[in-house]
Amino acid sequence: MAAMKILIVEDEPKTGDYLKQGLVEAGFIVDLVRDGPDGLHHGLTEAYDLAILDVMLPGIDGWAVLAGLRRAGKDTPVLFLTARDHVDDRVKGLELGADDYLVKPFAFSELLARVRTLLRRGAKATAAEFLRAADLELDLLRRRVTRAGRRIDLTAKEFALLELLLRRQGEVLPRSLIASQVWDMNFDSDTNVIEVAMRRLRVKLDDNLEPKLIRTVRGMGYVLENPDCA
Amino acid sequence: MRLTGRKSITRRLTLLFVIASSAVLLALGFVIASSVEKHFEQLDMEVLTGKMELARHTLEKLKSKDDLDRITQLLDNALVGHHGLEVIVFVPPHDVIFATPNANFPLDLMAASAAQSPYRPLTWTQGEQTYRGIAAELPTGISDLSPLIVAVATDIAHHQAFIRSFLQTLWVFVAGAAVLTGFLGWAAARRGLAPLRAMREQTQAVTAQQLNHRLPVESAPVELAELAQSLNEMLARLEETFHRLSDFSSDIAHELRTPVSNLMTQTQVALSRVRSADDYRSILESNAEEFEHMARMISDMLLLAKAENGLVVPTRETVSLATEVHALFDYYDAVAEEKGLHLALEGDGEVTADKLMLRRALGNLLSNAVRHSTANTTVRVTISASPDAVSIGMENTGDGIAPEYLERVFDRFFRVDPSRQRASEGTGLGLAITKSIILAHGGTISVASVGAVTTFTIRLPRAAGASELQKSAPTRRSIQNP
Repeated sequence: MAAMKILIVEDEPKTGDYLKQGLVEAGFIVDLVRDGPDGLHHGLTEAYDLAILDVMLPGIDGWAVLAGLRRAGKDTPVLFLTARDHVDDRVKGLELGADDYLVKPFAFSELLARVRTLLRRGAKATAAEFLRAADLELDLLRRRVTRAGRRIDLTAKEFALLELLLRRQGEVLPRSLIASQVWDMNFDSDTNVIEVAMRRLRVKLDDNLEPKLIRTVRGMGYVLENPDCA
Repeated sequence: MRLTGRKSITRRLTLLFVIASSAVLLALGFVIASSVEKHFEQLDMEVLTGKMELARHTLEKLKSKDDLDRITQLLDNALVGHHGLEVIVFVPPHDVIFATPNANFPLDLMAASAAQSPYRPLTWTQGEQTYRGIAAELPTGISDLSPLIVAVATDIAHHQAFIRSFLQTLWVFVAGAAVLTGFLGWAAARRGLAPLRAMREQTQAVTAQQLNHRLPVESAPVELAELAQSLNEMLARLEETFHRLSDFSSDIAHELRTPVSNLMTQTQVALSRVRSADDYRSILESNAEEFEHMARMISDMLLLAKAENGLVVPTRETVSLATEVHALFDYYDAVAEEKGLHLALEGDGEVTADKLMLRRALGNLLSNAVRHSTANTTVRVTISASPDAVSIGMENTGDGIAPEYLERVFDRFFRVDPSRQRASEGTGLGLAITKSIILAHGGTISVASVGAVTTFTIRLPRAAGASELQKSAPTRRSIQNP
């Protein structure tokens, strides 16, 4: 996949810089502008795969930038960032054609996961039969998992969890995303549900075997990657 | 009390007093005036009819035409000594036989009256004089003479002067009385409204710092007691909201103090000397966890703040509770299994509710149950439906909750064991969120604890509260975490 180009319009200096740094390090090409008019100008004159817009911007606000882009026929996916969590804001954003919405404070891993989801939206779903990492193989049709040729018994939810990790290999997945994708739970539990589930999956998958495929990224989430290829 | 003109009660009462007393006095005055007038009329009539009778007798005594010459003398004798009394005797139409000096009466009127309604009092004005009189046809003793018309009248100017002056006095008196009752009414109203002023002074003592101030209900007059009662209830509601709001702020400040202090200390200690990359990484990781915790707390607090202000509007769809509980069991399955807990469900029921919110509410409850259960026990969820409500019981065996804490388990940041504060898990808002979600659905939640067994009971109305039905789609995302 060729490097994706992302436009960030964010006037808060630190937020802008860290978003840019984080996304660049995640392998994206990033343009960062600090105000609404610049953002609209960039959005109209260059081709981006995704735009990340702050709602409150000097000059013209995020809504107006989005409206300007849509009026000019640009269907660049747009992810809104806002410090306010008002239902009206969401409705307005969705009506104007925003694709997603993140309320500050958000975890960077969450932002990254959403960005990747939005970028993937356009791409064709791979109708693969097998998902693989190192010597781990997941058979989607027969719903079987083997590691180094040895069958591993997983519960239905563990299978779904592993499938998610494999489909998004190399991406750090925040707990909230895992809970939402695997269990359809859109709230953070007071209990360390994901940790326990992940620990149990890891025991079945990685115990006594090398390389360890599932890694905990403290403060961010979990990633499945083949350390030999990383 | 200021008489600002706009709807002043004192002014209105004063005006009413004035109008009422003037009306009564005027009516009384007119009754008196008219009865005095009637009395005068009666007196006049007695005199007039008496004179008429005299005239009749006199005329009857006339036997021949010669007697006619004496008529003046006879009538003079008969009618002498009555001041202001005028008499005229004439043969219709205009042949005056006898007339006292001022008796220039309208003869046609007299003739008409005598013909149509003899003895009926007539009033007419003649020059400066006003007369009341009667007229009649009287026969004479002279056989070939047609009856004569006799009119007797008296000047009633002095009666009229009396009535006029009486009415004048009445007007002056009424005006004076109006002013007086106005003043008295004003004074009475002021005095009567004194409790209201007292109440106003009492309410002025109520400020944000002194919301506990209440108006005296017992000492207030009956009419104001209810008002005072309502005002007190309003104050109580305001006080509660105000306290909740200020508790809310201090809770946030308090709960953020610990993580911020941790972060600050940790970061400053880390910066105080050069460390290895691994050390830095570990500090940053720890910070990230702390930040994540704070971010969660902020979003949870926001949800609660919205709920307390009635801004959480659930969307409505039909939700099978058994399905939801099963999904949650799936979610907590691994954790339960690690603790050797058995999750059991009995019954089913459908409610109209916001699925995501309800899931979160039940999830928090289940999470709480799982966390506080002793190993190898059962968390039992029982759903039972009645025609208009569904109740969900969640029972777990574990620490139990002391009676004095039962009331408070739904409070923000309440933890039975304060030392467990900020254990790896939880913001201490789970049950508060559950409660606010249940309340937003028009339901109730309660908790009971007997020995080691703690049971939470939720009651949800089957049908949605109508007022909360209309809003839809975007709201549901408001309870998700960012």
